Amino acid sequence: MPTDSLLSATILTPGLVGLLLLATPREAVRLHRWAGLAASLLALGFAATAWARFDPANAAFQFVEARQWLPSVGIGYRLGMDGISLVLVLLTALLQPIVFISSWHQIHEKVKGYVVCMLLLETGILGAFLATDLFLFYVFWELMLVPMYFIIGVWGGERRIYAAVKFVLFTLAGSLLMLVAIIYLSFAYHAQAGTWSFAYEDMLKLSVPMGQGFWHSPQMLLFAGFAMAFAIKIPVFPLHTWLPDAHTEAPTGGSIILAGVLLKLGTYGLLRFNRPLFPQAWAAATPLFLTLAVIGIIYGALVAWAQRDMKKLVAYSSVTHMGFIVLGLFAGTLASTQGALIQMINHGLSTGALFLLVGVIYDRRHTRLIEDFGGLAAVMPLYTGAFLLATFASIGLPGLNGFVGEFLILTGSFARYPAAVVLAATGIVLGAVYMLSLIQRVFWNAISQPENRTLADLTWQEALAFAPLGILMVWIGVHPGTFLSLSETAVRRLIGG
Amino acid sequence: MNPSDLTAILPELVLVLAGAIVVLADAFAPGLRPRFGVFAGLSAAGALALRWTGPLPGAVWSGALAVDPLARFVDTYVLAALLLVAVMADPYLKRTKARYGEFYGLLLWSAVGAMTLAKADSLVVVFVGLELLSITLYVLNAFHRDSAISLEAGWKYLVVGAFASALLLFGIALLYGATGTFSLRAVAQVVGSRPLAGNPLLLAGLALLLAGFAFKLALVPFHAWAPDVYQGSPTPVTAFLSVVPKGVVLVALARAVASVAPQAITPRWVPLLAAVAIASQVLGNLVAISQRDIKRMLAYSGIAHMGYALVGVVAFGLDGIAGALVYLAAYTFMNIAAFAVVSAFSENEDEPHLINDLAGQGWQRPFLSFALSISMFSLAGIPPTVGFVAKFLVFRAAVNEGMAWLAIVGVMNSLVSVFFYVRVVYYLYMKPLPRRAPDYSEPWPVRIVAGVCALAIVILGMFPALVLGAGELAARTLLR
Repeated sequence: MPTDSLLSATILTPGLVGLLLLATPREAVRLHRWAGLAASLLALGFAATAWARFDPANAAFQFVEARQWLPSVGIGYRLGMDGISLVLVLLTALLQPIVFISSWHQIHEKVKGYVVCMLLLETGILGAFLATDLFLFYVFWELMLVPMYFIIGVWGGERRIYAAVKFVLFTLAGSLLMLVAIIYLSFAYHAQAGTWSFAYEDMLKLSVPMGQGFWHSPQMLLFAGFAMAFAIKIPVFPLHTWLPDAHTEAPTGGSIILAGVLLKLGTYGLLRFNRPLFPQAWAAATPLFLTLAVIGIIYGALVAWAQRDMKKLVAYSSVTHMGFIVLGLFAGTLASTQGALIQMINHGLSTGALFLLVGVIYDRRHTRLIEDFGGLAAVMPLYTGAFLLATFASIGLPGLNGFVGEFLILTGSFARYPAAVVLAATGIVLGAVYMLSLIQRVFWNAISQPENRTLADLTWQEALAFAPLGILMVWIGVHPGTFLSLSETAVRRLIGG
Repeated sequence: MNPSDLTAILPELVLVLAGAIVVLADAFAPGLRPRFGVFAGLSAAGALALRWTGPLPGAVWSGALAVDPLARFVDTYVLAALLLVAVMADPYLKRTKARYGEFYGLLLWSAVGAMTLAKADSLVVVFVGLELLSITLYVLNAFHRDSAISLEAGWKYLVVGAFASALLLFGIALLYGATGTFSLRAVAQVVGSRPLAGNPLLLAGLALLLAGFAFKLALVPFHAWAPDVYQGSPTPVTAFLSVVPKGVVLVALARAVASVAPQAITPRWVPLLAAVAIASQVLGNLVAISQRDIKRMLAYSGIAHMGYALVGVVAFGLDGIAGALVYLAAYTFMNIAAFAVVSAFSENEDEPHLINDLAGQGWQRPFLSFALSISMFSLAGIPPTVGFVAKFLVFRAAVNEGMAWLAIVGVMNSLVSVFFYVRVVYYLYMKPLPRRAPDYSEPWPVRIVAGVCALAIVILGMFPALVLGAGELAARTLLR
């Protein structure tokens, strides 16, 4: 494999396999399952190769690819990987095989379509993390939309259509304005440099005029154009209403990818584009975003507390966790930004694991209501252990990954924004409250319903799907340096510190 | 007359002759009827080959026609549309028991009219080309002689079309009165040499010309005929009607805009065209939401799409015209793919083509449903389809000309449009098959057409340089 096509191989392998599968007969279900798993493992292999060859001391993009695409418009097929994209690509590539393993016995209908959608989705996500051309980024960004629409709409729960359409319209509403902002950015670059370009590296050289007021400030307007798309994706507090629907109605695999990786594209976008391209607008918007982040943290936790449906509870806990990440990004110190980045990974691991485990129990009982359970610890010891581990990771118990992320975010932000940190810390307490009360009601109490006496424990496949997540939760908790050191130089470059 | 005049219009001559042969063969050798579709397709392919191997001399026939790269671009897309429609029409005509040579004869001659219009450099030739295109289509719309809605479609298109022709003709007369010439180049010189503000004759002439074109493009407020005509016409005719006349009239409009020196009348011209573009987008998309018949939905979507393409003409310049041309190419493939599938997913032509009737077909007839979905996503402008690239290019042209608001209005409209395009996909894949499963056929010619269009949508979406390069080359001839 020559150096310069490693990233292309990572991105395109799943999608190409997906397209090939379209030509296979729909009865060949075993082939589809194995091909999906193989393609995602191949992508994981490529991502691991990139990790092995990655030079953390180098802040610039590595494994760079640049090919002409639409030269007269300045659009190129440009890919590159820095520490930030590396960790997120690793997360994506890791979660995808887990999705296939977890849905092995869950998805029985239209398996071919499911596998194809998942593989195309993976290509879109990986591409968005690795694109260093704004047009290409947008193409990959939108490429995720259609497969996700199908995954929610075809394999989802009862209100799947509503959730799928809401997801599409919310996402597009944000991203179409981003498209105009991208076009305008290239126009502004042409005005300053005299040539057409959509390359990210070129845009970094650009200084967009700040102007006076909001409507007369190109930088504020462009910032808003990008931030709107990302804030919807994250989702930041008042724009979060699509998330509980989409997460709850999506099949388990869809929820894992949605919560684990798709949301991270929003925070990734803020860090990758908004921070370095529009620094003054970023500073001006910081109070707004910190406020929304803190509201999101507390609001998400309170609503999660009130949920009776386990999946909805986990979905609302995502609003809280993403609020922490936004807080870390906008606090803007090296520690808080690094914390936000590692928290993106943590949230992917712990929420992915929780959705996986909720899916396991839903498979057995076809209900996710907390009151239908109780005393499961006696019946499903392995399952209980896994759930406890994911919960502790999620609420930030020291020694596990969640602690590292939250600690870095809060300590990194405290010097600058003590009030926000104090308020956010109450979110941690609330998080412990609703997660532990969930544990108590589902696993401890006495067994109230006879059906729960005979529930089978984790199968080896379910355990296999959970194992990598569990291992990484401990790994990051004990030795976060493995991952923090990968992204430090890249983060320094973006935040200019 | 030069010999080069004849070689320059060889593709048109081939099509005229082929049309005559089909009509005569129908009378004298009716046993050949099943082969007419292939013959018409081959003639289109032959004409296409001739256009690409033949010379591009520029002005021929004493300046009446301009055989330039722009003409070649438009011919390519007219002939591609003709070829695709000819292939998909045969199973349709067989199913509806209307397999007659006249259909193909009229179709071929209609394409000749379109190709003439796209090359016209004189206002008289504009009119002649438009009439040839329109009159053949009046007959084709009403080709199901026993069907009331088909006759209604033909009648409506005739009345409205005649009205539009009258406006156009009156506009041409006024322009002739104001400038003393029919040639677009000469008009341009006159316009460039004197102030427009004090010349009501010229302005009225331009306004009427624009109105006549807007009728053919089904732009708001001249759009009212489109839904009924789309719905009632035989589906292959609708496919042809929805792309070919619109495309060539848009090019004729661009030629007119180029020759009346837009910078001279910008204060009037740009707001007027921009208003028409926005009104078409808004009305087309909003009304399309409430449509239950897919052909009517596509009619309103076509109104909106001409609004987007017009944004390219409003922005003008290399980016704008090239963007509009790419838009036309994209629109051709998206629409023909959609209508090809609709022509197969129908049991009875007198019944409406309800979107409801597509329920569950995605898992029942995966190939055609997949093609229809790709077409819908492309119409909605979602990457990696050519529909996205086309929208991107025209919006980019608007931003680059300092009209970012036009781009913002455009993307907002795209957002609205996603709702009804995606609804088709929703019915295909997320609705269960009805208890009485409809008995649709999937003839292989329709599969080929839908497959080719879907492939073109995706390939041109991933490698847009293929079509953008040709579009830019064509646009340059307009900005001489």
